[in-house]
Amino acid sequence: MTAPAASDVAIGDGVTPYSRTVTQEHINAYADASGDHNPIHVDPEFARSVGLPGTIAHGLLEMGILADAIASWAGGNANLLSLSCRFSKPLLPGDTIICTGTVVSVDDAGVATLEVGASSDRGDRVLTNGRATVRLSR
Amino acid sequence: MPPTFAAVYCLGPTLAQLFMDPEVGIDLAGLIHGEQSFEWPAPVHPGDVIDATAEITGIDSKRGMTFVRLAMEAIRPADQTVVCRATSLMIVRAPA
Repeated sequence: MTAPAASDVAIGDGVTPYSRTVTQEHINAYADASGDHNPIHVDPEFARSVGLPGTIAHGLLEMGILADAIASWAGGNANLLSLSCRFSKPLLPGDTIICTGTVVSVDDAGVATLEVGASSDRGDRVLTNGRATVRLSR
Repeated sequence: MPPTFAAVYCLGPTLAQLFMDPEVGIDLAGLIHGEQSFEWPAPVHPGDVIDATAEITGIDSKRGMTFVRLAMEAIRPADQTVVCRATSLMIVRAPA
Protein backbone atom coordinates (compact mmCIF):
# COMPACT_ATOMS: atom_id res chain seq x y z
CA MET A 1 0.00 0.00 0.00
CA THR A 2 1.28 3.47 -0.81
CA ALA A 3 0.16 6.87 0.39
CA PRO A 4 -2.12 8.95 -1.81
CA ALA A 5 -0.06 11.19 -4.12
CA ALA A 6 0.26 14.79 -2.97
CA SER A 7 -0.88 15.92 -6.41
CA ASP A 8 -4.12 13.91 -6.03
CA VAL A 9 -5.06 15.13 -2.54
CA ALA A 10 -7.21 18.26 -2.24
CA ILE A 11 -8.40 20.27 0.73
CA GLY A 12 -11.75 18.85 1.80
CA ASP A 13 -10.87 15.26 0.88
CA GLY A 14 -12.09 12.83 3.49
CA VAL A 15 -10.80 9.69 5.12
CA THR A 16 -12.87 6.66 4.08
CA PRO A 17 -15.64 6.32 6.75
CA TYR A 18 -14.52 3.75 9.30
CA SER A 19 -16.63 2.11 12.01
CA ARG A 20 -15.86 -0.47 14.67
CA THR A 21 -18.11 -1.91 17.37
CA VAL A 22 -16.18 -2.09 20.64
CA THR A 23 -17.15 -4.93 22.96
CA GLN A 24 -16.11 -5.64 26.55
CA GLU A 25 -13.92 -8.42 25.08
CA HIS A 26 -12.05 -5.79 23.02
CA ILE A 27 -11.65 -3.61 26.11
CA ASN A 28 -10.35 -6.56 28.15
CA ALA A 29 -7.89 -7.44 25.37
CA TYR A 30 -6.75 -3.81 25.21
CA ALA A 31 -6.20 -3.79 28.99
CA ASP A 32 -3.90 -6.81 28.57
CA ALA A 33 -2.13 -5.37 25.51
CA SER A 34 -1.56 -1.93 27.03
CA GLY A 35 -1.04 -2.96 30.67
CA ASP A 36 -3.78 -0.51 31.76
CA HIS A 37 -6.00 -2.62 34.02
CA ASN A 38 -7.71 0.33 35.72
CA PRO A 39 -10.96 -1.25 37.03
CA ILE A 40 -13.11 1.50 35.43
CA HIS A 41 -12.39 -0.33 32.14
CA VAL A 42 -12.83 -3.96 33.20
CA ASP A 43 -14.99 -4.15 36.37
CA PRO A 44 -18.61 -3.01 35.81
CA GLU A 45 -19.47 -3.00 39.52
CA PHE A 46 -16.45 -0.88 40.35
CA ALA A 47 -17.15 1.49 37.44
CA ARG A 48 -20.72 2.05 38.72
CA SER A 49 -19.40 2.68 42.24
CA VAL A 50 -17.47 5.71 40.97
CA GLY A 51 -20.45 7.17 39.15
CA LEU A 52 -19.99 5.78 35.65
CA PRO A 53 -22.84 4.03 33.79
CA GLY A 54 -20.62 0.92 33.60
CA THR A 55 -17.19 0.16 32.23
CA ILE A 56 -15.80 2.56 29.62
CA ALA A 57 -13.32 1.97 26.82
CA HIS A 58 -9.75 3.20 27.22
CA GLY A 59 -9.31 6.54 25.44
CA LEU A 60 -6.18 5.13 23.85
CA LEU A 61 -8.16 2.19 22.43
CA GLU A 62 -10.43 4.71 20.69
CA MET A 63 -7.39 6.67 19.55
CA GLY A 64 -5.87 3.45 18.21
CA ILE A 65 -8.99 2.83 16.10
CA LEU A 66 -8.79 6.44 14.86
CA ALA A 67 -5.11 5.93 14.00
CA ASP A 68 -6.07 2.77 12.09
CA ALA A 69 -8.71 4.71 10.15
CA ILE A 70 -6.22 7.39 9.13
CA ALA A 71 -3.42 4.91 8.40
CA SER A 72 -5.76 2.94 6.12
CA TRP A 73 -6.35 6.10 4.08
CA ALA A 74 -2.67 7.08 4.32
CA GLY A 75 -1.33 3.82 2.91
CA GLY A 76 0.08 2.44 6.15
CA ASN A 77 1.13 3.19 9.70
CA ALA A 78 4.52 4.59 8.68
CA ASN A 79 2.84 7.50 6.87
CA LEU A 80 1.02 8.69 9.99
CA LEU A 81 3.42 11.31 11.42
CA SER A 82 1.37 12.68 14.30
CA LEU A 83 -2.04 12.41 15.94
CA SER A 84 -3.66 14.34 18.76
CA CYS A 85 -7.17 14.48 20.22
CA ARG A 86 -9.30 15.19 23.27
CA PHE A 87 -11.22 12.38 25.00
CA SER A 88 -14.51 14.26 25.34
CA LYS A 89 -17.10 11.58 26.07
CA PRO A 90 -16.77 7.96 27.15
CA LEU A 91 -17.31 5.09 24.71
CA LEU A 92 -19.26 2.22 26.30
CA PRO A 93 -19.07 -1.50 25.51
CA GLY A 94 -21.42 -2.28 22.62
CA ASP A 95 -21.04 1.21 21.13
CA THR A 96 -19.92 1.59 17.55
CA ILE A 97 -17.21 4.22 17.06
CA ILE A 98 -17.31 6.09 13.74
CA CYS A 99 -14.03 7.79 12.75
CA THR A 100 -13.78 10.67 10.31
CA GLY A 101 -11.06 12.87 8.88
CA THR A 102 -10.85 15.76 6.43
CA VAL A 103 -7.79 17.26 4.76
CA VAL A 104 -7.37 20.91 5.77
CA SER A 105 -3.96 21.65 4.22
CA VAL A 106 -1.14 20.14 2.19
CA ASP A 107 2.31 21.70 2.53
CA ASP A 108 5.17 21.97 0.01
CA ALA A 109 6.90 18.95 1.57
CA GLY A 110 3.88 16.74 0.78
CA VAL A 111 2.57 16.53 4.34
CA ALA A 112 -1.22 16.69 4.71
CA THR A 113 -2.86 18.00 7.87
CA LEU A 114 -6.27 16.53 8.67
CA GLU A 115 -8.97 17.43 11.14
CA VAL A 116 -9.99 14.11 12.64
CA GLY A 117 -12.47 12.87 15.21
CA ALA A 118 -14.86 10.15 16.24
CA SER A 119 -18.49 9.81 17.32
CA SER A 120 -20.44 6.96 18.83
CA ASP A 121 -23.54 5.50 17.24
CA ARG A 122 -25.44 7.01 20.21
CA GLY A 123 -24.47 10.43 18.86
CA ASP A 124 -21.78 11.31 21.40
CA ARG A 125 -18.69 13.09 20.05
CA VAL A 126 -16.12 10.89 21.80
CA LEU A 127 -12.88 12.17 20.22
CA THR A 128 -12.73 15.90 19.47
CA ASN A 129 -10.17 18.60 18.59
CA GLY A 130 -8.33 15.93 16.62
CA ARG A 131 -5.44 16.67 14.28
CA ALA A 132 -3.29 14.32 12.26
CA THR A 133 -0.41 14.77 9.85
CA VAL A 134 0.21 12.30 7.03
CA ARG A 135 3.14 11.92 4.66
CA LEU A 136 1.83 11.74 1.09
CA SER A 137 3.72 10.18 -1.79
CA ARG A 138 5.37 12.44 -4.38
CA MET B 1 3.92 -1.49 14.61
CA PRO B 2 0.55 0.18 15.33
CA PRO B 3 1.31 3.86 16.04
CA THR B 4 -0.55 3.98 19.33
CA PHE B 5 1.55 1.05 20.61
CA ALA B 6 3.43 4.07 21.98
CA ALA B 7 0.97 3.62 24.87
CA VAL B 8 3.17 0.69 25.86
CA TYR B 9 6.71 1.92 25.22
CA CYS B 10 6.24 5.66 25.88
CA LEU B 11 3.27 6.28 28.20
CA GLY B 12 3.10 3.03 30.18
CA PRO B 13 6.52 3.07 31.82
CA THR B 14 6.43 6.78 32.64
CA LEU B 15 2.81 7.23 33.75
CA ALA B 16 2.96 4.09 35.89
CA GLN B 17 5.82 5.59 37.91
CA LEU B 18 3.79 8.71 38.60
CA PHE B 19 0.41 7.16 39.25
CA MET B 20 1.57 4.13 41.22
CA ASP B 21 3.80 6.18 43.54
CA PRO B 22 2.22 6.05 47.03
CA GLU B 23 3.76 9.47 47.81
CA VAL B 24 1.85 11.01 44.90
CA GLY B 25 -1.30 9.37 46.27
CA ILE B 26 -3.48 9.42 43.16
CA ASP B 27 -6.70 7.40 43.31
CA LEU B 28 -6.83 5.54 39.99
CA ALA B 29 -10.63 5.47 40.18
CA GLY B 30 -10.66 9.25 39.86
CA LEU B 31 -8.18 9.44 37.01
CA ILE B 32 -9.38 10.64 33.58
CA HIS B 33 -7.31 10.75 30.41
CA GLY B 34 -8.24 14.16 29.00
CA GLU B 35 -6.07 14.72 25.93
CA GLN B 36 -3.26 12.98 24.10
CA SER B 37 -0.83 13.86 21.34
CA PHE B 38 1.78 11.72 19.61
CA GLU B 39 4.46 12.52 17.05
CA TRP B 40 6.36 9.65 15.43
CA PRO B 41 9.59 10.98 13.91
CA ALA B 42 10.83 7.44 13.12
CA PRO B 43 9.25 3.97 13.07
CA VAL B 44 9.64 1.43 15.89
CA HIS B 45 10.27 -2.24 15.06
CA PRO B 46 9.68 -5.45 17.01
CA GLY B 47 12.75 -6.17 19.12
CA ASP B 48 13.74 -2.52 19.56
CA VAL B 49 14.80 -1.43 23.04
CA ILE B 50 13.24 1.96 23.82
CA ASP B 51 13.98 4.35 26.69
CA ALA B 52 11.17 6.71 27.69
CA THR B 53 11.37 9.79 29.89
CA ALA B 54 8.64 12.14 31.05
CA GLU B 55 8.34 15.44 32.78
CA ILE B 56 5.40 17.18 34.38
CA THR B 57 4.97 20.43 32.46
CA GLY B 58 1.99 21.88 34.33
CA ILE B 59 -0.35 21.36 37.26
CA ASP B 60 -3.58 23.35 37.67
CA SER B 61 -6.41 22.87 40.10
CA LYS B 62 -9.96 24.00 39.52
CA ARG B 63 -13.42 22.88 40.63
CA GLY B 64 -11.98 20.12 42.78
CA MET B 65 -10.03 18.60 39.89
CA THR B 66 -6.30 18.61 39.25
CA PHE B 67 -5.08 18.94 35.65
CA VAL B 68 -1.65 17.38 35.16
CA ARG B 69 0.15 18.01 31.86
CA LEU B 70 3.05 15.76 30.93
CA ALA B 71 5.54 15.58 28.06
CA MET B 72 7.26 12.32 27.16
CA GLU B 73 10.05 11.41 24.79
CA ALA B 74 10.98 7.90 23.67
CA ILE B 75 14.46 7.21 22.28
CA ARG B 76 15.99 4.10 20.70
CA PRO B 77 19.47 4.11 22.33
CA ALA B 78 20.95 1.79 19.66
CA ASP B 79 20.95 4.63 17.11
CA GLN B 80 20.05 7.58 19.39
CA THR B 81 16.85 8.12 17.37
CA VAL B 82 13.81 9.82 18.86
CA VAL B 83 10.91 7.51 17.94
CA CYS B 84 8.05 9.25 19.75
CA ARG B 85 7.21 12.56 21.40
CA ALA B 86 3.98 12.68 23.34
CA THR B 87 1.97 14.99 25.56
CA SER B 88 -0.81 13.92 27.91
CA LEU B 89 -3.41 15.73 29.95
CA MET B 90 -4.48 13.64 32.92
CA ILE B 91 -7.34 14.85 35.12
CA VAL B 92 -7.47 13.71 38.74
CA ARG B 93 -10.89 13.98 40.35
CA ALA B 94 -11.13 14.41 44.09
CA PRO B 95 -12.43 11.28 45.88
CA ALA B 96 -16.24 11.23 45.89
